[in-house]
Amino acid sequence: MKLCQKHGLPIVPRGSGTNLAAGTTPSQGGVVLIFRNMNDIVELDEENLALTVQPGVLTEEIHQYVEEQGLFYPPDPSSGKISTIGGNISENSGGLRGLKYGVTKDYILALEVVLPNGDIVRTGGKLAKDVAGYDLKSLLVGSEGTLGIVTEATLKLIPKPFYKETMLAVYESLEDAAETVSAILANRIIPATLEFMDQGTIQVVEGYKQIGLPTDCEAILLIEQDGPKEIVEQDIEKMYSICKEYGALSLSKAVTEQEAEELTRARKDALSCLAYLSPTTILEDATVPRSKIAPMVREIKKVADKYDVRIHTFGHAGDGNLHPTCATDARDKEEMARVEEAFAEIFQIAVDMGGTITGEHGVGEMKAPYLEWKVGELGIEIMKAIKQAIDPNNIMNPGKVFAKSTKKRVVVSNV
Amino acid sequence: MISDSFLNRLKDILGPSHVDHSEAGLLTYAYDATPNFQSKPDVVVMPGNTEEVSKIVKLCLEHEVPIVPRGSGTNLAAGTAPTQGGLVLLFNRMDQILEIDKENLTATVQPGVITQTICETVESQGLFYPPDPSSMKISTIGGNINENSGGLRGLKYGVTKDYILGLEVVLPNGDIIQTGGKLAKDVAGYDITKLLVGSEGTLGIVTEAILKLIPKPEHKQTLLAVYQSMDQAAETVSSIIAQKITPATLEFMDQPTIGAVEEYAHIGLPTEAEAVLLIEQDGPQAIVENDIEQIADICEKHGALEVTIAETEQEANQLREGRRAALSAIARLSPTTILEDATVPRSEIARMVQAINQIAEKYNVGIATFGHAGDGNLHPTCMTDARDEDEMERVEKAFEEIFAHAIECGGTITGEHGVGEMKSPYLAWKVGERGLEAMKNIKTAFDPHNIMNPGKMFAKDTKKRITI
Ligand SMILES: Cc1cc2nc3c(=O)[nH]c(=O)nc-3n(C[C@H](O)[C@H](O)[C@H](O)COP(=O)(O)OP(=O)(O)OC[C@H]3O[C@@H](n4cnc5c(N)ncnc54)[C@H](O)[C@@H]3O)c2cc1C
Ligand SMILES: Cc1cc2nc3c(=O)[nH]c(=O)nc-3n(C[C@H](O)[C@H](O)[C@H](O)COP(=O)(O)OP(=O)(O)OC[C@H]3O[C@@H](n4cnc5c(N)ncnc54)[C@H](O)[C@@H]3O)c2cc1C
Repeated sequence: MKLCQKHGLPIVPRGSGTNLAAGTTPSQGGVVLIFRNMNDIVELDEENLALTVQPGVLTEEIHQYVEEQGLFYPPDPSSGKISTIGGNISENSGGLRGLKYGVTKDYILALEVVLPNGDIVRTGGKLAKDVAGYDLKSLLVGSEGTLGIVTEATLKLIPKPFYKETMLAVYESLEDAAETVSAILANRIIPATLEFMDQGTIQVVEGYKQIGLPTDCEAILLIEQDGPKEIVEQDIEKMYSICKEYGALSLSKAVTEQEAEELTRARKDALSCLAYLSPTTILEDATVPRSKIAPMVREIKKVADKYDVRIHTFGHAGDGNLHPTCATDARDKEEMARVEEAFAEIFQIAVDMGGTITGEHGVGEMKAPYLEWKVGELGIEIMKAIKQAIDPNNIMNPGKVFAKSTKKRVVVSNV
Repeated sequence: MISDSFLNRLKDILGPSHVDHSEAGLLTYAYDATPNFQSKPDVVVMPGNTEEVSKIVKLCLEHEVPIVPRGSGTNLAAGTAPTQGGLVLLFNRMDQILEIDKENLTATVQPGVITQTICETVESQGLFYPPDPSSMKISTIGGNINENSGGLRGLKYGVTKDYILGLEVVLPNGDIIQTGGKLAKDVAGYDITKLLVGSEGTLGIVTEAILKLIPKPEHKQTLLAVYQSMDQAAETVSSIIAQKITPATLEFMDQPTIGAVEEYAHIGLPTEAEAVLLIEQDGPQAIVENDIEQIADICEKHGALEVTIAETEQEANQLREGRRAALSAIARLSPTTILEDATVPRSEIARMVQAINQIAEKYNVGIATFGHAGDGNLHPTCMTDARDEDEMERVEKAFEEIFAHAIECGGTITGEHGVGEMKSPYLAWKVGERGLEAMKNIKTAFDPHNIMNPGKMFAKDTKKRITI
């Protein structure tokens, strides 16, 4: 860091490069910093339920390691097999278990960070509570490599849930599915997983995998609960009746682990199936208050029709975190222009509904021109002031998060 | 000192009845709950909405008048003592619950709402706002947010920060910004929400907050266990966690605290016991019953002299009463009570309590300790007399040594009470010179003229670090 400062060279920290917001493309050249040689699990502290790791450890390695000890690290981005914990921390990644267990930020107890001036600071500790000074840790988590380099992290672990059950519900209408989601939560059940796929996604998955999904339905919900056995059984039973009451056409409950695998496969394969469709896949991340899911999915469909682009949507229904995914072709400039317009409109609709442009993928370079739509001009100003305070020479991942200019807002009527 | 023109412009903004510069008014707000910090402000104002707050901030910026936002002044770190004079800003006219959104499980509130009012209001609708500082009957949500307050339910449910989804904030330049939203996930830009929570009024003024609610647990049980030795109590705590049980409450009191409580409340605690644990579990009835049974077994296995499980809500209240009364009971014993907040990793609790006792003996001061055992958050509380200078010096030395010891155990100088002015000379002990510098840079980025609660969080000088 000190050397780069001296020479005014940009630094791009890079985990596995799986981020979807151009967060690690060295668009201003400079030094790419890789953590391949910093990939040790440093310490498991069973008494304090804390795991200390280097940034290059793969997410899945952490899961396997702690689960062998009967412990649990909940954040599970779908990219967990290849993503690094350093990347997860810097993106504040979510996952399928987010509704009940939260996101990466909720599991970071302490960080060792190299600041842009080369200072090494430690924030936090193996502490359930710590209010000594500003919360640098929370500021650094999700800062996308623009404020410093994470060189070590202490993660919070929890006991591994004893038991888990899985079910799948198929709906004729989107609204029925959305109402089910609200009803489940209104009945004081917080499932571990509450995922959703729209018709387009279902058709594509079925087309490739032939797993017997009904292609004429508008929505599928994948629901999982974990915890003590009797509670899980009770919750699943309640959710089963709720699904029925709100008009589920068919319901399947996994009896064996293998059946559960099959039920979850459709959702897990969604992105890769959609990616088969076309040379280019653009996955977005608009997030809305939970109560707005059905209207949001409807709006996404309208926008896709309006711009004549193919967009299918799946995502974390319980979190309001949707992934409208566009199957397109980057070589077709004319279509790409329409895709961009469509996504701009989707962002605007999300923000108008009280949502955000990104729930878990980050801003990076790709969404930087839209950040102001969510946080406002004054919000950007204060974020820039923080960036300037910590990295006055702008050597940490320059060009990310903050754009040279903001996209002109699109005005969306009828929302 | 403030000028007449400044006062007049304040009155123009707020109306004369919401600007108080009477001697009585100034005296009232010269104090907070922290002993030994007193200093009169120049004026006290009561804005009624965000725009007025913004106008006040701009005016103060123009005149370089310090602003001290104040909830109920119950903080214990001199966070609201106007030690550089200036303007005290009250939220008693911004005290409404604006909305409870049952679909998204959120409550939108103004900063002046009393914590308990929020808890009661949402519970009457089957919902739950977990953070419950012992001061909740009088503390405001604005104060809770700015201290990132904890409470008795912290072990299972976390602290205030875990329940703040979005904020409306007036920045030190008068800008009004909104952060976050009714969103489970949001990674658009830096996390200003979490940075502001716990910033002790030094980065901006919170004028509205969106709180996360959860479903209210359906059942709750309470248990009290009495121990001959502190070690046994600490082993019980570790063992409960190792059994993968996360109780809602896991509180502890040491012998001096038990003595004080018994003398005050006569609830039949054995005063010869070295430690008492108060344990509660909530959730679905079957799980709660099962957990409490297991916990009772664990307590007995680790040598508890007595384990009492409450059969009725009334009995539960009796069991809780001791822990709840701890601070008031101790406060009765001497003219001045100084409550500290050292926090250590859970595994270090027994060692820390022993160290506190040794330190108290070494400096010949009376310290009783109670606190959140499950969180490692201890409240060593000193019974002293601010008029006795010699003793106060020893008290300060003792606390310095306690801080140093906590840090050596991997802990912190404050778990939930904040830094304020009182602990600011010790902040570098925890965060390091470099960490402190990064924090100061952030402060300057937000508040280049240092008008927001100046003198808090950052001290002129760091105390020399002592080594043990
Ligand atoms: C198929 C697929 C599925 C996905 N599913 C999810 C999902 O379910 N949930 C989700 O949230 N995301 C998901 N993602 C996005 C992505 O995987 C995550 O953002 C992940 O955390 C990135 O990890 P990485 O190691 O690849 O980091 P990278 O992409 O290499 O880097 C991400 C960011 O972190 C910074 N960075 C990396 N390491 C450090 C460090 N040590 N110090 C400072 N900065 C650093 C980089 O500069 C960059 O800004 C998915 C992506 C793909 C391709
Ligand atoms: C008997 C007793 C028991 C306690 N128990 C606990 C406990 O269990 N857990 C715990 O964590 N704390 C506890 N405390 C400490 C204290 O009650 C908490 O810190 C509480 O949150 C303070 O709330 P308040 O409304 O009194 O805020 P104040 O003391 O008035 O202010 C606290 C801080 O917040 C700032 N502030 C207040 N409102 C705003 C606003 N709207 N915008 C910006 N800044 C603002 C102030 O400037 C100050 O820095 C206890 C205190 C007492 C006296």
